[in-house]
Amino acid sequence: MIAPTQVDSQVSSQVNGPARAVHSPAGRGLGLGRLFARHPVVSRLVSLGLFFLAWEIAGRVPISYAFPTFTDTLYAFVTMLADGSLVMAYGSTLQPLIIGIAISGVVGVVLGIVMGLSRMAEWLVAPVFVVLQSAPMAALIPLITFVYGIGLVAKTLAVIMLALPVIVLNGYKAVRNANPSLVDMCRSFQGTRLQRITKIIIPDASPVIFAGLRLGLAAGFIGVILAELLITPTGIGDLITYHRSVANYAEMYAAVVSIILVSTLTLAALEAFEIRVLRPEKRRG
Amino acid sequence: MFKGLSGLKSGVAALAVGVALMASSAAEAAKVRIAFGDIASVESLHLLTAFERAKEQGVDIEVTYLKSEDIAAQAVVGGQADIGVGGPYALVQKVKAPIRMFLQLSTLRFYPAVNAQFYKTWKDLNGQEIAVHSRGSGTEAIMKLMEERQGIKFSKISYIPGSEVRTGALLQGNVKATIVDAAGRRLLETQAPGKFIILPLEGVNATDEALFANTAFLEKNAADVDKIVEAILTTWREVTANPAVVTEWRAKYKLLPDLPASQASEIGPYFEELAKGKAFPLNGGGATAAKDDFAFYTLSGQLTGEPASLKVEDFWDTRSLDRVLAKVGTK
Repeated sequence: MIAPTQVDSQVSSQVNGPARAVHSPAGRGLGLGRLFARHPVVSRLVSLGLFFLAWEIAGRVPISYAFPTFTDTLYAFVTMLADGSLVMAYGSTLQPLIIGIAISGVVGVVLGIVMGLSRMAEWLVAPVFVVLQSAPMAALIPLITFVYGIGLVAKTLAVIMLALPVIVLNGYKAVRNANPSLVDMCRSFQGTRLQRITKIIIPDASPVIFAGLRLGLAAGFIGVILAELLITPTGIGDLITYHRSVANYAEMYAAVVSIILVSTLTLAALEAFEIRVLRPEKRRG
Repeated sequence: MFKGLSGLKSGVAALAVGVALMASSAAEAAKVRIAFGDIASVESLHLLTAFERAKEQGVDIEVTYLKSEDIAAQAVVGGQADIGVGGPYALVQKVKAPIRMFLQLSTLRFYPAVNAQFYKTWKDLNGQEIAVHSRGSGTEAIMKLMEERQGIKFSKISYIPGSEVRTGALLQGNVKATIVDAAGRRLLETQAPGKFIILPLEGVNATDEALFANTAFLEKNAADVDKIVEAILTTWREVTANPAVVTEWRAKYKLLPDLPASQASEIGPYFEELAKGKAFPLNGGGATAAKDDFAFYTLSGQLTGEPASLKVEDFWDTRSLDRVLAKVGTK
C-alpha cells in the first residue's frame, strides 16, 4: 500500500520540479518567488518563521492557560538541554527504539522478501501484518503489559508492533513488483533462481525496501512515545508527563517539540542517504 | 507523513468534541457539569451518593469521567466543565488559572509497605531502592518527606504507576519496598499475612482530592455550590459514624449497578478502614488544609516558594464552606 504512494509522491515532486523552473523566468516581478526557487532553504526558513510567529501570537493571546509562547518554550528547551535532562531522557528513550528498529529491520526485510517470493508465505503471513497495520495500536499497547510487564521488553515490543508491519509490507510489495522485464532478461540469459533473486530482484527492490525501513523508523518513533506515555513514563514520556503534572507547560511543549525535531531530522538524514546512495536518479539538480 | 496525518486527525476530533461540548453547554446552562479525573469505582461511592443528595436538593448535576486529573482540570479551566475533582495547586500557581478549590474531599492515604524478610523499620531503608507512583506524585512526596524526617537516604526511587501494579510487584518479589493504597494494603494482608510490614506514617495530611471551580462560576452559582458542599459534608459525617451505610446507599441510589460481586463485597471493609482512620475530612478542609498542603506540595515540587509566603486565598475560596459550616456546625 505504502510503496506506491511513496513512489507517487516522488514522481509528483519530479513533475513539480520542472513546473517551478518554467514559472521563474516569466515571473520577473516576483523577486521573492525567484529567491525561493533558487534557494529552497530560504522558503523553508520563512515557513518555519511564520509558524513560530503564529505560535508566539497564540501563546500571548493566550488561547489556553496551558499554552506557552514560543519564546518560553525555546527558553525551556535550552534550559533542559543545558541541565542535561533532555540528553538523559533521550538516553533512555532511544534504547527501546534502537533495539526495536534493529529487530524489525532484520526480521521485516527477511519476511518481506520471503513473502514476495513465495505465494505460500504470503497467504500465511500477509493477513497478520495487514491487520496489524490497520489496528489501533494505542489500544493494544497497554495489553502488552499484561504479558511482558513494564520494562524494556514491553517498550521494545511496542516499537516492533508499529514498525514491523510497515517494513514487512513494503518489502513484500517491492519484491513482488520487481521489474518483470529485468526478471525476463535474467531468465533469457539462463540465470538460476538464486541468481535471479540475488542479482536482479533484491537489487531492484532495495530502494522501496529502504523506503519501508525509513517509514518503519517513523512508526517506531510513534511506538516508543506511545509506550512511554502508556506503559511507564521514562525518557521523553517521563518529561512530558512530569512537566504536565506540575503545570510546567513550556517544558512539556519543549519535550514534545524535541521529539518531533529528532524524528524529523533522523528521517530527513535517512532520506538524504537514500537519495544519494540508492536512487541517484532522484537527486535534484 | 503518517505521523502528521494522525496528529491532524486527533486535532480534528478534539475540535469536534470541543464544539459539541460548547454547544451542549449553551443549551443547558443551568446544569452543573462535574469532571472526574478517574472512572467511577468503589472508592467514589460516597461522593456519588452526595451528588445524588444534592440532586434531591434541586441541583442539576451531570458527571463526566475523564482519563486523568490533569484533563479534568483543563476541562474546568477551558470552561467545558464547571467543577473538577483533583488538587490543581500547580495549575493555579504556575499559570495563574482562575480556579479555586472550595472543598477537600480526601487526604492522601498511602501505606509504605516493605518485605519483612529484608526490612523492618524506616532506618533499614537507608541506601535501599524504593518504588513510587510517578515523578512529582504524592507518593513520591510522602517518601521524600519520610526520608527527610528519618534522616535516611534512598539509593534510588523508581516509578511504577498504579498502586495495584506496585502491590503485585511487592507480592511477586519484584520490589522490596514501595508505597500502596488502602486496597493494596488489604490485599497484602489477605494474600500474604505477616510477610509485609506497613511502616508508620505520621503527620502527613495533604489533600488528595478536592473540588475546584472557576472563580466566576463560584460567584454566580453560590446557592448550588452551597448545596453540593452541604450534601458532601453531611454524607462524610454519616459515613464516618456508620461506614456500613454505603452499601445501602448504593442500593438506594442504584450506583455502579454493574459492579462485580467480588468488588461489591469490598465496599464494607474499604469504608470501614477509611472511617477508622478518619480519612473523610469532616470540616471540608479550608484554610487549615491549605496550610498543610503548602508544606507538603512545596516538597513534592507541585508548588514553588516558601510555604509561609503562600496565601490561602490564592488557592482556595472558602466562602461557601464557611456558610455551610455555620449552618451544620463544625466537628
